Amino acid sequence: MSLAELTAPWQRFNYGFLDESAKREIRRKTLKAIAVPGYQVPYASREVPMARGWGTGGLQVTLTLLKPSSVVKVIDQGADDSVNAVSIRKFLRRVGGVAETLDTTAATLIQSRHRIPEEKLRADQVLVLQVPDPEPLRAVEPDISEARHMHADADYGLLWLKLYEQIVRSGRIMEGASYPSLVNGRHVISPSPIPRWDVPKLHQADNLTILSAGREKRIYAVPPHTDVAPLAFDDIAYRVEDHAGIACERSGVKGYFLNELPKGGGASVYEMSDTHFATKHIQKREGEAVSFGATYYRKGSLAR
Amino acid sequence: MAYAATRGGEEAIEQAERLYREDLAPLTAERVAEVRRTMPYLVDRVMGEASLYEPDLAALALVQTGGDLYEAVLLLRAYRTTQPRLWIAEAVRHADILTVRRISAAFKDIPGGQILGPTLDYSHRLLKVGVLDGEPDTVAPVTPSETPAPATQPALADWQREKGLIEDARAEAVPLEEIPDVTRDGLLFPAPRAHRLQTLARGDTGGMLALGYANMRGYGPTHPTVNDLRLGEAEVRLRHPRGTVFSAGRVRVSEAEMVSKASEGGKLQLGFCATFGWNEVKTIAGATLDLSMHFENDYPAASEEFVLYHTEPTEASGFCIHFKMPHYVTFQSSLDALRDANAKREAHPATAPETPETPDAPAPAPELEEMPS
Repeated sequence: MSLAELTAPWQRFNYGFLDESAKREIRRKTLKAIAVPGYQVPYASREVPMARGWGTGGLQVTLTLLKPSSVVKVIDQGADDSVNAVSIRKFLRRVGGVAETLDTTAATLIQSRHRIPEEKLRADQVLVLQVPDPEPLRAVEPDISEARHMHADADYGLLWLKLYEQIVRSGRIMEGASYPSLVNGRHVISPSPIPRWDVPKLHQADNLTILSAGREKRIYAVPPHTDVAPLAFDDIAYRVEDHAGIACERSGVKGYFLNELPKGGGASVYEMSDTHFATKHIQKREGEAVSFGATYYRKGSLAR
Repeated sequence: MAYAATRGGEEAIEQAERLYREDLAPLTAERVAEVRRTMPYLVDRVMGEASLYEPDLAALALVQTGGDLYEAVLLLRAYRTTQPRLWIAEAVRHADILTVRRISAAFKDIPGGQILGPTLDYSHRLLKVGVLDGEPDTVAPVTPSETPAPATQPALADWQREKGLIEDARAEAVPLEEIPDVTRDGLLFPAPRAHRLQTLARGDTGGMLALGYANMRGYGPTHPTVNDLRLGEAEVRLRHPRGTVFSAGRVRVSEAEMVSKASEGGKLQLGFCATFGWNEVKTIAGATLDLSMHFENDYPAASEEFVLYHTEPTEASGFCIHFKMPHYVTFQSSLDALRDANAKREAHPATAPETPETPDAPAPAPELEEMPS
């Protein structure tokens, strides 16, 4: 036996960029996050070759989960071809040599910013959401030490008050994306800035969702088959965006979350935000063989 | 078609990077060596903020980014991520630092002496415009002093401790491997002292200056005095597994100790900041912040969480530029709520809330929640 046999050949960096000690920490913290659904687990959060705020938290989790047999999909605002999604996918290719896909149903690992795909994720798929601000209490309590106490006491009174004040002032709850949601009846999370349309997809999902904030250094998770309840009042129901009745300009399909594109003369057209899902509808219309997964929404309403 | 679109995005970002690089002179080892040789203070600054001491790599990062400091620091930080932490160096003591410059503003003279060292402090800041017209820049050589300054100096704080002016609260001896490492742990508050000083050591010079200056101007509990300010070189001493301590080389360091004039329990308080490289403004601002954070107060610029979070160069700059990324999903989500609330208000104006003081005032417009990013 020689020293050369025992040593791995020199390489510029480890498989998946992060070294094994960084991966080990992220695995441990992720397991803790799964064990305590919705609890924000602090982690070291290494610097990666992308700017903070550009998906570095999601990226570190993805890099840790990456293996050569992974099939990866990366989306930003629902689109695979958004420049930052392209950049992240290119990086995963460079450091992981993984298979890539645009098709939600074909992916084993999906990293996303601001959306959950329209096709229902399965038990064998993991969704990694990029999180800019993990703290749902930030708007009512900017001091993170204080906010941690409030989570420990399940003291969410100020959040309820905030929603109540919105109703008093504006006649409805004015929260847009990042809707505060109670996980497993215990911790309120920010589900990352996914639209309200996507929050019910987390409830009793078949898949694991890991949420990771690189800059703020927190990992939290929604394990499979876990209750996720957006905060709402008994007499004022939670409302998703009013997109169900509008058709997608590209695919002609109705009943999914849309992007509005302003046009001259005050007009707007709408396109489906889950761009590859729309593409599959177009391919089908053109006679190509495409397979669709089950969807969370059917005819614009939640299918449960 | 989406495949084509995806390739389109990839092509676009590739071309954008090429365009950026085309505007810069070619990246060569000669240019890197030139930057290292001619801009040591710039190299020091990025090494400090990167918390990676390697002048060649720092110069490379500066040349590769065309001098964009935040980008250079990010390059070095990301490189640092790929490096294993193999060993922990022995602590550097004041009295071990090979000092080239050492100032105290608290006393006229101090044990070990005041050493002016290399500084522009008393120079006239006149641009040498003649150089642009071909005039040679002549600087007379330094005249060596008859009695060279001692290479090392005792800490002024030792004298102050002996006189009972400051608390004799020396750090307990902590095994090296048990020193908390902020690059390997999450940062929680109140932060361990090691985390606080490490975060200041790799903090953003400009950000620390802004918050430190806010404290100095009155948005803070202290108006401090420079107790002991040093530029020098420190040996990186490692313990061999056989027990021998040896030096692996020297690093340029700066450190500042600021002392409060306000006493607490009859003792003066000290604030401290040290960093890689020679960067006086950063360590003076950092030690002021450390000192301010010690006192109970309500100033954001003297709150540990506020200061440490907002002076982190990579996080602050990254988040600032991330607003360039598309946010149309979150925007659409907020727009949906706003339009609905407006429609409701128009349909049922009577149900809109009234403010008792001005009953004739129109119903307030719905408030759009801050859009998350």
